[in-house]
Amino acid sequence: MKPKRILMAKTGLDGHWRGPTIVARALRDAGFEVIMIGMATTAEIVAAAVDEDVDLVGLNIGGHIDVALRAVDAVQSAAPEMPIFAGGTIPPHACKQLEAKGLEVFPPGSMLADIVDSANRLTGLSEAP
Amino acid sequence: MRAKGPDDTVQACSDIPLKPYYTAEDIPSAHAARANQAPGEAPYHRGFHPSGYRSKPWRIFQLSGFGKPEDENERIKFLLKNGETGFIMEHDRNTADHCYNVDHPEVLARREDVGLTGAVMQSVRDTAICLDGLPMDTSFGHAGGAVVQHAPFALAAYWTVAKQRGYDLERLAGTGQSDFNLTYLGCITKQQIPTDAGLRFNADIIEFCTERLPRWVPVSIAGYNGADTGLTPDQELGSLFANAVEYLDEIKKRGRIPLDVAARGCGGVSFRASIKIFEEACKMRAARLMWSDLLKERYGITDERVANLRIHCVTAGSKMAYQQPMNNLVRGALMAVSAVLGGVQSLGVSGYDEALSIPSEHAHQMSVRIQQILMEETGLTDVTDPLGGSYYVETLTAQLVEKAWTFFEEILSRGGYLACLDSGWLHAKAEENQHKEFMQTESGEANIVGVTMAHDDSSPFEIDGFIGSDDAFDVALERLAEVKRSRHEKGAADALKRLEQVCRSDDNIMPVMMDCLEAEATLGEVGDVYREVFGDWRTPIQS
Repeated sequence: MKPKRILMAKTGLDGHWRGPTIVARALRDAGFEVIMIGMATTAEIVAAAVDEDVDLVGLNIGGHIDVALRAVDAVQSAAPEMPIFAGGTIPPHACKQLEAKGLEVFPPGSMLADIVDSANRLTGLSEAP
Repeated sequence: MRAKGPDDTVQACSDIPLKPYYTAEDIPSAHAARANQAPGEAPYHRGFHPSGYRSKPWRIFQLSGFGKPEDENERIKFLLKNGETGFIMEHDRNTADHCYNVDHPEVLARREDVGLTGAVMQSVRDTAICLDGLPMDTSFGHAGGAVVQHAPFALAAYWTVAKQRGYDLERLAGTGQSDFNLTYLGCITKQQIPTDAGLRFNADIIEFCTERLPRWVPVSIAGYNGADTGLTPDQELGSLFANAVEYLDEIKKRGRIPLDVAARGCGGVSFRASIKIFEEACKMRAARLMWSDLLKERYGITDERVANLRIHCVTAGSKMAYQQPMNNLVRGALMAVSAVLGGVQSLGVSGYDEALSIPSEHAHQMSVRIQQILMEETGLTDVTDPLGGSYYVETLTAQLVEKAWTFFEEILSRGGYLACLDSGWLHAKAEENQHKEFMQTESGEANIVGVTMAHDDSSPFEIDGFIGSDDAFDVALERLAEVKRSRHEKGAADALKRLEQVCRSDDNIMPVMMDCLEAEATLGEVGDVYREVFGDWRTPIQS
């Protein structure tokens, strides 16, 4: 079976790479193909999600939640079926806003196993519990 | 990781096996011969001064800033009122780190992010607002400019404001940091000058300060930024001194200023104080010893004012948990204890809300209170190097020194510190360590209270993230237009033209940068010159 493809992008101009790199490694170890485009604008994220024909979009969020919400809206408008998950330094109020848009959210302290489970579920590799 | 039985192996973070207890026989003999040296004597591992904190308390020095320059000014005044004894100006990551103005397309695409992590300062007018009423003449001031490509602009802005207020630059004390670890290893910007251009900037700053600002710490290498990216304590030490050698060799090659003066300029550094109390305290002791030995053996420098390393310490932001954030008050205090036991001269304690946002006013106040409690109530300041002579501490200090020199030599054998940034070799080391640390937590080998154990689902979050101000972008955009409308346009254009000429020559960049700031050239315009002349660093990792 062709591996499922995940796009990972950073919505802000904040280059902390520890989090996304650890997550990408765990996802690759679990059999996913991960395409990392680093710090990207909303337009670049949408273009990459479509061009790369990915099954899931992962957003690393380190800044204001409105910037991330704009990217989420744009991806959902261009590809209504595209699942999205997010991680990063996301305070509780911002997690709720993302969850309200249907995202699974992984703030600091999340376990890699839970993130991999989420990727399996969101790409249809496993059933929702 | 902690031992759960008597036969379990326990390792220090620096991959050194730890014994259940230590005796005099464990201390390597070469180190034992030096261990009885008094504090204030070479090689200084026992402390910077015989009377230590009795005669000189550490500086309470908190990273601070957000929003508009006036928001940052208000927060700094709040911290000073609460007992901070120096001040730090934090700049907005989006604009400062990239040398962009707010009207750059990359910033416009993320306008809500502007001001979230520091104040926006695009011209000397903004810097003047941020510094309004602050004691520049009597306090140690951190001008910002932690990022290498931003440092010349930030420093020149600070010094220009000082001149406007009639202060003598010769008497000004502070730093701008200008640290490679920050954006070439830890928090990599989208765009920045290549490392060789950055080395030239830092050498220029060192030379300029030697001639004009003798009390200023021209550059301050931040081991913190390497450590919080994943380097272990021995690697933090080894890479920091490999970085210092890069500066000193360049200054020596140029031959324009005395090397010992330059070495004093490089001898104000920062480290991370993390949660393993003894290993971190040993790291500070090891650092002083290594600097003293390095200067003596490599450059023949033994002058006490130069060989006695000055250390600023910040507690590890990455150790602050998102879950049950009040636990972070305890973590902050304990990490600060490790720094104080290690005898550092300056300290910042990360906020209890570190994993959620930049510090709220209350979190900032508590960071100061932690330091005041340690200083006033605990007796930690009574005796210099209270751990000195402990079999364990002396052994671990010696082992750290040995491992750190091995790492240092390995970096030099790979072409030096900057070459190891260019090639991604240091990033790979950091990533490997991060992964290992993460997997230990993931597997249950190592616990984090409130995260992997002692869960408490019944209590919701006690706090939410601090957001700051909501008009930083709009105000910055207006002020940018106002500066361009009201400045002497030809003066600014001429200064920027001369900046480009100097960038293409071997002349020192700082005099013309002072001219640029006086002529009210803006941050983005200076950045455009850099991008034109130096091009972009090729980032060795993808994130």
